[in-house]
Amino acid sequence: MSDIFSFSRFIALLRKNLFERPVQLAGLMLLTLALVLISYSIVKAVSGYEDAQLISYMIGFLGGGCFLSSFLLGYFNSPALGSSFLTLPASTFEKWLSAVIICGFLFPAIFIGFFHLVDMIFVNAYHSSLNPKDPFFQNKYDSVRTFSFDSVIAEDSYRMYVIFVGSMLLGSLYFNRGAFIKVGLLVCGLYIGGVLLNEAIAHVYFDRVDRALPYLCVFIPVGTEMGKVMLPINASANVDISMRFVIPAILWITTFIRLREKEF
Amino acid sequence: MDHIWILSSFAVYYITNTLLMIAIQNFSFQYNRKKVLYNNLSLTLPEGFIYGLLGKNGAGKSTLLKNMVGMLFPTRGSIRVNERDPKKRTPSFLQNIYLIPEEVYVPALTIQRYVSLFSPFYPLFDRNAFYKYLEELEVKHAGKLNTMSFGQQKKFIIAFALACNTRVLLLDEPTNGLDIPSKSQFRKLIASIMNDERIIFISTHQIRDLDNLIDRVVIVDNGELLLHASMSEISERLSFRKVKELPADIEIFYSEDTLGGKSIVYENKTDEDTRVNLEQLFDAVTQQPASAKTIFSKPKKSFQ
Repeated sequence: MSDIFSFSRFIALLRKNLFERPVQLAGLMLLTLALVLISYSIVKAVSGYEDAQLISYMIGFLGGGCFLSSFLLGYFNSPALGSSFLTLPASTFEKWLSAVIICGFLFPAIFIGFFHLVDMIFVNAYHSSLNPKDPFFQNKYDSVRTFSFDSVIAEDSYRMYVIFVGSMLLGSLYFNRGAFIKVGLLVCGLYIGGVLLNEAIAHVYFDRVDRALPYLCVFIPVGTEMGKVMLPINASANVDISMRFVIPAILWITTFIRLREKEF
Repeated sequence: MDHIWILSSFAVYYITNTLLMIAIQNFSFQYNRKKVLYNNLSLTLPEGFIYGLLGKNGAGKSTLLKNMVGMLFPTRGSIRVNERDPKKRTPSFLQNIYLIPEEVYVPALTIQRYVSLFSPFYPLFDRNAFYKYLEELEVKHAGKLNTMSFGQQKKFIIAFALACNTRVLLLDEPTNGLDIPSKSQFRKLIASIMNDERIIFISTHQIRDLDNLIDRVVIVDNGELLLHASMSEISERLSFRKVKELPADIEIFYSEDTLGGKSIVYENKTDEDTRVNLEQLFDAVTQQPASAKTIFSKPKKSFQ
């Protein structure tokens, strides 16, 4: 059997990882789905379908995914658990891949399937509640559609998911306890630091800056109007490539390296 | 095709039939810059013996075991287990080594579920033997493992580890949490599974629990190897006796007050046959390391 990858061993590992902590894994999944249902219902009642779809989707997909990934490799909060994980006869690649499969494919597939089902039920209920004889029936009908998983927002969410989940997986190998909170704070800190640094740099280049969005644009007041200086196309493309591929690759590959080098 | 088959058969034969050995060379380890736990430790542990690693609390016994299994990496020097580098933690290496840590981990699963999830990783796992060991250790539990007492959990892991049939078995304070009958049962089990192709390495500070079990003693203190000797060598080098008064004609290596007299350890110059007292040996060696080194470095007589 190969010391890098064996299909049968990998299946055994995946099975072990899924069923070893059934309460946590199933509990987290149920909690995420319940949160989606609750947030969808509340936000729909307060500010309509579009916001309900967006907010509940983001809470469930990003929140649930991040929480799940923070404990998938988080075996290091007790010596016994860490020892059991590190000395289990499976390769580092298999252990890493198993986490990648669970938070990169299984969770998104289950979540998106469930979210779409809930969304369809709510939207169908709304469509059924409309009066076909209402002169604005068609307008009202068209105003509420199910959440599109190939929209710009959905694409952005996939990009954020890959980065956040990668950060959580990596963070759980550095922070043996409370990885979710610590990594969350670290990512927020980095983001706020980036915004402030960007703001400071923008003030160096422009006299009057209203707002500066990192790697996107700078708003400059011109008389009573607001001018927007966009990032040059070349630079913008580089940022896009970095966000889509380079940063996720660094995070996910570093997770593998860190797991291989992990001492406990 | 034939030559491939012959080559692969030879490889399998070579892997399963070569002599097993743990070779520790110039091993140094430190958790931080200030505290050096091991400094240039060299030790060779051939197969076929049960080793008792003795040391005070904090001497680094668990650290040494963790280095052997690849959970920690040497700061300097190397550890090789059967010519393999534990640091790589390859499946083929881990399939042949099992560490029972001081505190064991059991998930919220039934015994059957645990076996079905964890045993596929150990190709030599023997299910019948596992249930036999459970019976011998009196582990009967129909519920989830995490609802058992600590002692029961530990006995469950011991039974599982033994059934994995790994060639190297590392046990860190295995008798902690076991009741008196279980300790005795544990000793019997370990003795029963021992064979010439295995290495069993037991780290403990509860020395009495290893009485009549170990073949060789390894004593470490302050990052140094103070003693590595077989029980027969110890018995030939040292005498252990209980006396009322300290004899004037014997150069005492170590003495301690006991009920109704004194227990003494001294160099065995007259081929006396006395029973090795591990506790006194440990105290003697850790308190007088230089004298121990002198006694044990003298030319051998007929030691194993």
